[in-house]
Amino acid sequence: MSLLTVEKVTSGYGDMEVLHEVSIAVDSQEIVTIIGPNGAGKSTLMKTIFGLLKPKSGRISFSDHEISALSADRIVRLGMAYVPQVENVFPSLTVRENLEMGAFIRSDDFSGRIREMYDLFPILGRRGRQQVGKMSGGERQMVAMARALMLNPQLILLDEPSAALAPNLAEVIFERIEAINDTGVAILIVEQNARQSLSLSDRGYVLASGRNRFTDTGENLLANEEIGQLYLGG
Amino acid sequence: MTTLAHIPQLLVYGIISGSIISLGGIGVSLTYSILGFSNFAHGDFMALGAYIALGLFTLFTGLGITNAPFGPLSFGFGFVLAFILAIALTAIAVILIDRLLFRRLRRSGPVILMMSSIGVALGLRNILQFFWSPQPHYYSQAIQPAVSLGVLNIRIKPDELFIIALAVVLVIVVHAFMRYTKMGKAMRAMADNATLAQVTGINTDRVIIWTWVIGAGLAATAGILAGIENKFITPELGWQMLLSIFAGVVLGGIGNPYGAILGGMVIGISEEVSTAFISTGYKPAVAFVIMIIMLLVKPTGLLGRKD
Amino acid sequence: MEHLVGILNYIVFFAITAGTYSILSLGLNIQWGNTGLFNIGIAGFYALGAYTSALLCGLPPSAWEGRTFGGFQLPFIVGLLGAAIVSGVVAMLVGAPTLRLRTDYLAIATIGIAETIRLILTNESWLTNGVWGFQQIPSPLYKTIHAATSAYLKGHPNLPVWLHDLISKSYDWFYLVLVLVVLFILYLIMERLVRSPWGRVIRAIREDEDATSMLGKNTFSFKMQALVLGAMIMGIGGSMYAHYARFISPVSFKPLYGTFIVWVMLILGGSGNNKGAILGGFTVWGIWAGTDFLTKYLPFTSTQSASLRVILIAVLLEVILLWRQQGLLPPKKHLFSQK
Ligand SMILES: Nc1ncnc2c1ncn2[C@@H]1O[C@H](COP(=O)(O)OP(=O)(O)OP(=O)(O)O)[C@@H](O)[C@H]1O
Ligand SMILES: [Mg+2]
Repeated sequence: MSLLTVEKVTSGYGDMEVLHEVSIAVDSQEIVTIIGPNGAGKSTLMKTIFGLLKPKSGRISFSDHEISALSADRIVRLGMAYVPQVENVFPSLTVRENLEMGAFIRSDDFSGRIREMYDLFPILGRRGRQQVGKMSGGERQMVAMARALMLNPQLILLDEPSAALAPNLAEVIFERIEAINDTGVAILIVEQNARQSLSLSDRGYVLASGRNRFTDTGENLLANEEIGQLYLGG
Repeated sequence: MTTLAHIPQLLVYGIISGSIISLGGIGVSLTYSILGFSNFAHGDFMALGAYIALGLFTLFTGLGITNAPFGPLSFGFGFVLAFILAIALTAIAVILIDRLLFRRLRRSGPVILMMSSIGVALGLRNILQFFWSPQPHYYSQAIQPAVSLGVLNIRIKPDELFIIALAVVLVIVVHAFMRYTKMGKAMRAMADNATLAQVTGINTDRVIIWTWVIGAGLAATAGILAGIENKFITPELGWQMLLSIFAGVVLGGIGNPYGAILGGMVIGISEEVSTAFISTGYKPAVAFVIMIIMLLVKPTGLLGRKD
Repeated sequence: MEHLVGILNYIVFFAITAGTYSILSLGLNIQWGNTGLFNIGIAGFYALGAYTSALLCGLPPSAWEGRTFGGFQLPFIVGLLGAAIVSGVVAMLVGAPTLRLRTDYLAIATIGIAETIRLILTNESWLTNGVWGFQQIPSPLYKTIHAATSAYLKGHPNLPVWLHDLISKSYDWFYLVLVLVVLFILYLIMERLVRSPWGRVIRAIREDEDATSMLGKNTFSFKMQALVLGAMIMGIGGSMYAHYARFISPVSFKPLYGTFIVWVMLILGGSGNNKGAILGGFTVWGIWAGTDFLTKYLPFTSTQSASLRVILIAVLLEVILLWRQQGLLPPKKHLFSQK
């Protein structure tokens, strides 16, 4: 039984269907990458998993709970976290306040967890009182990830964590993702140009026009010539 | 004829009315940034608070609860008790309105909420008018002498000093709440991005309730203070101030509570000082003109961020 | 029979007022229903129209009046056009600083302009006669029709009472026709406009302004045109009111009431549908007038009854918003409105 199972989910905005019977699965402690061209429906899938869009059909379950009908705030409580592609931080709050918000539903003392996050992302530790809106793209991405980790989730969804980052910064982010995974957190990543992501993934899915195209291990997908040409930029 | 010598005195009047406008503006600003709509019922929340206080005060007087004035002020224990309870009851009433209407309409978007708030405004005002008539009612008919401050011929009543002091205290309290408490931070987070707040696990419904508690509580306070300052209240009290409040909010930067305070002060002072030059009747028009000028020069307002 | 005539005369009066409100509702429909512009200063444009028309067509100031200007005794049609032009120009002034911003700003600014207009009407006595307002605004063709009616009644002294009563109200019948003709012409113009390419653009703006501007349309200019056009129609409504009521003063244009009821009319009738705007005008005015009768039987003072009626309309608005946002006649599906 996988940690997250998405079975034949159809979903979209209003009357418009974007996803057509998409299925994916993520096991505990796995890293799984979804790749696909612009507009393939990758972000839509993330939003649907996280309860921001209601699936029109199909089912989604997470650690033995059916979550297709749950709202985002309920899903958070079950141990899943989500870092959206854009607008994934609270810009007028400080770094520390962003992390505190990540722990909103915790009533215990979470200062230890904040310290762990500062260890994971040392830059943030030094900038705790800075307003996030004034930080660089890479730093914001770290704040967003740290915020999502505050509740010790079992699974974290990352929507294009390296998009719009300079290559060396993307490197840092992927290295951190591996570090997070080493602590036992399963990770579902969406990436567009995804060699890096696939190389550290256990498995990968290719999504195009809202449908499953390929599913294989990260290595095999990388080795597949057709995929290389079509989706990995040759 | 007014001369320049009156201007210091007018400035003081401006600060008094600016205090009241600012308290109203904080609520408008919070509702705008957190719930995402312009609440045109805010003025009527003020009037509601003023009338609940009146009702309670009348009741307490009937029950024989003392209202022996505190020092030089015009009111005592009975009125203060009515004041505090009125704040709480107004907040409760507004939360009920939210549950009944605004919450159900939130999915329909800001414009529908704005429209609904106009219905609430008219409804509330006419409920007050139904029970209390459109005629003015008085908290106290006693005339309070103004005392001289000893500079520039400025005279001010003890009640007016109370209004300014209370406004300052409340602004500090609200600031501390927003800055240092978990709920205050969550309110700022939700104002930044309501979807992300939900994704983060913030209990957005509770944030909304707190937004109304603060907004409606300050509205009631502003309404009662306006009653103390004007010496009377009418069901139109809030509506008459609404334009000034919105002008202050836009001037300071819509959605920014600090801007609402600054803007409210500027509007209050401009309105009063303008009476040295033009007819008193044009006070709301002064607010309107300042607002339009701000929109032409910098639509995001004095303290606004761009968005 | 006499009873029936009384009712008939009331219906004429009712229909004239409802028709005038329907004109306002039609004006709001172009702004809100089609373009999505949130104007809550309708009463201001309505008042401007009424006062402009009174200034242009009314009598010169008399000795006991505060005003010292105006009263040019021009023909009705000049008043009507003048009303439209002045309301339109003021709408342009309101739109210029606000139409590039979120619609909230337009809402706030229109409240502001309505209030400012009311203050000017109250304070600038030289122009408006202050709180006393304009009296004896001439009604179009009144003298002619009145003279003809009197002559006819004199020539036929033995008419039954009911017929006499009916004929003596001939002017009201004439005015009803006039209102309905104006309403119908405006309706036809609006229908044509809404179906034109221009109409498709403004509806697209309502649906998704960003997308429309990306198609290369200057959305500001289209919004401005819709705002001005709607305000002109409201000005015409004001003019129609002034020439029928023959007396106007600032209290006739209390900002929120006039505005509010027109909104409820449009929303009940169906925003975006011109027939709906008119249907809403007559329906809501019917409810408003009907409750006037009903509340007379309740043990309340007249101000209490008036409040009760406003509360009822407010409840009606909330009920529509909660359960039937599309109104009685929903807008037709247009090509552009499907995403
Ligand atoms: N809020 C929305 N409302 C309507 N349609 C939307 C919305 N968001 C996305 N879409 C549409 O859904 C389709 C899929 O978009 P989605 O954002 O899921 O793609 P994506 O695979 O994440 O692309 P990218 O790589 O650019 O992030 C696109 O055609 C897009 O136009
Ligand atoms: Mg995406």
